[in-house]
Amino acid sequence: MKRKRIVGVALSLMLVLSLAGFTGCGKKSASNGELNIFTWTEYVPESVIQDFEKEYGIKVNWTTFSSNEDMLAKVKAESAGTYDIVQPSDYMVEQMIAQDMLMELDKNVITNIDNIDSAYLDPSYDPGNKYSVPYQGGVAAIAVNTDKVSKEITSYDDLFSEDLKGSLVVLDDYRAVIGMTARSMGYSMNETDTDKLSKIEEKLLKLKDNVKVYDSDSPKNSLISGDCTVGYCWAAEIALAQEENPAIKIVFPKEGPYVFMDNWAVLKTAKNSENAMKFINYMLDSETSQKVSEEFPYLNPNAKAVEALGDDFKNNEAKNPPADVIASGEYVSNLDTDTLAIYDAMWTKLKK
Amino acid sequence: MTKHKFKSKTLPAISMVGPVTIWLLVFVAAPLVYVFIMSFCGLDEFYNVSYHFTLNNYKRLADSNYVNIYLHSLVIALTTTVVCILLAYPFAYIIARTKSKKKNLLYMLVIIPFWTNSLIRIYGWRSLLGTNGWVNTFLMNLHLISEPIDFLYKQGTTIFGMVYCLFPFMVLPLYTAIEKLDGSLLEASADLGAKGPKTFFNVILPLTSGGIFSGSIMVFIPCLGYFFVADILGGGNSDVIGNLVERQFQSGNNWPLGAALSIILILVTLILVKIYQKLGGDMDSLGV
Repeated sequence: MKRKRIVGVALSLMLVLSLAGFTGCGKKSASNGELNIFTWTEYVPESVIQDFEKEYGIKVNWTTFSSNEDMLAKVKAESAGTYDIVQPSDYMVEQMIAQDMLMELDKNVITNIDNIDSAYLDPSYDPGNKYSVPYQGGVAAIAVNTDKVSKEITSYDDLFSEDLKGSLVVLDDYRAVIGMTARSMGYSMNETDTDKLSKIEEKLLKLKDNVKVYDSDSPKNSLISGDCTVGYCWAAEIALAQEENPAIKIVFPKEGPYVFMDNWAVLKTAKNSENAMKFINYMLDSETSQKVSEEFPYLNPNAKAVEALGDDFKNNEAKNPPADVIASGEYVSNLDTDTLAIYDAMWTKLKK
Repeated sequence: MTKHKFKSKTLPAISMVGPVTIWLLVFVAAPLVYVFIMSFCGLDEFYNVSYHFTLNNYKRLADSNYVNIYLHSLVIALTTTVVCILLAYPFAYIIARTKSKKKNLLYMLVIIPFWTNSLIRIYGWRSLLGTNGWVNTFLMNLHLISEPIDFLYKQGTTIFGMVYCLFPFMVLPLYTAIEKLDGSLLEASADLGAKGPKTFFNVILPLTSGGIFSGSIMVFIPCLGYFFVADILGGGNSDVIGNLVERQFQSGNNWPLGAALSIILILVTLILVKIYQKLGGDMDSLGV
């Protein structure tokens, strides 16, 4: 899940400036202690954090990461208590629970969990939402520039068609691309069977001629610029590309897409766990969640917020993928290291 | 008496050398040792580094897919180096032989781009070279082309980006070498009846070969590791060894394998520097 991995220096500079802004305003109202949050880049609106600081009088120290693995490595490397709240994706929640890194959430404080659509509760990676609550998510869908592509595309399998030679932008993420290939054959994204994996490899290598660029940071760019006419990327990226070029349409693969969900979780070593619970409850508030969706149009599991966002958001399939699409999809899960080595070898073969 | 001597001689020496030594030990030697140790480690079930000895990482490095990428990476680096020499030599020659104030101007032309982060400059090239980028728009408005040219996401684009990033590293040593060239030797060559090309190949080139060597080392080695150029301009289609290392430390989540790959990269570098020394290269002109 490396959708925004490399962040340019310009962005970092903006972040530094914005952080400086927070420290400034936090100092005025730091009567109720602090909170250290660690989130994805370009994922939580600044205004929402500032409002929280004002409303609760809690100073927020905000740091960002650009991949789950990056986040995990930093949490482990920093001294205990550096971060209170983290924002892991589905499989990373599972991994952190297994390593006993997360604190049980206080549902007496986090009452706004009722706002979450029940379809997103009790996920396979955290049964009963003991340690995590969903924030935002999405699916890896197909973008088609209908001005340039006449072929009808309805499935992941269609991405392997010879008609699409040299026209694809795909996520630069081996689990995403190998998983997509597996699903196009009716297998799981988390296949471990070696026979099936060798069949997947055979098909994966056929994708090589079709891919023009691997890009997880901003695949919408090559769609908008016209360098690529078909994309395999996050629905939210497609939503943004559509705003620039209405000819770009979103297609949900009939095999059921790759789904991800990012979550709020509190670290076991958190020093400000009470504030953390308050913060999570605040983020699940429907008004807050609405503001988040207005700035970052990912899949929002907050049913009340989606209701309030109106038809423009609700009926935009790229921003708000239909429930049956999500239900037909699959999460990435953690694989044993031997299987991962096979995945890595396949990916290296594709990219050599 | 001896005690007094110790204070007067050793203490000042320690105070001068000490900080640098500590710096080198803590920030250069220790991390390298750590990388070396890690390259012999395995992974536990949560992909953490587990400290038991194994040669598995090195076995995986011999995999034909990896070897293909090393070779590919070496080809990219070699091409970049050759192109850099061909472009930088005349340029460095002009700077070195210019007497007027223009010399500073030419020199600054090489230095100024350094002041902007290379990542940003590479992103800049991506927007310039895109299908709807400035270069294509310009050429189409001049009616020189009717369809946009597909510049991006090719191996050639990766090499272009590498040449662009590393050009100054070739110009500067060449400039130093050509600057040192004794003008009277050229006059002697002309007096003895040698024409331009003959003087160049028999006098100038041998005397400036040191600059070519050190420039080549300084271009070739970074080329193996500049993964962001291969990612952004090559679109992930022409990986270099740096991409392999980056992938294992990031999405691949296999730090020991990444460490082993880094060791390979360090070994290649050491071998190249050794060859350079054997050929009579001067370590000082590498800036090390």
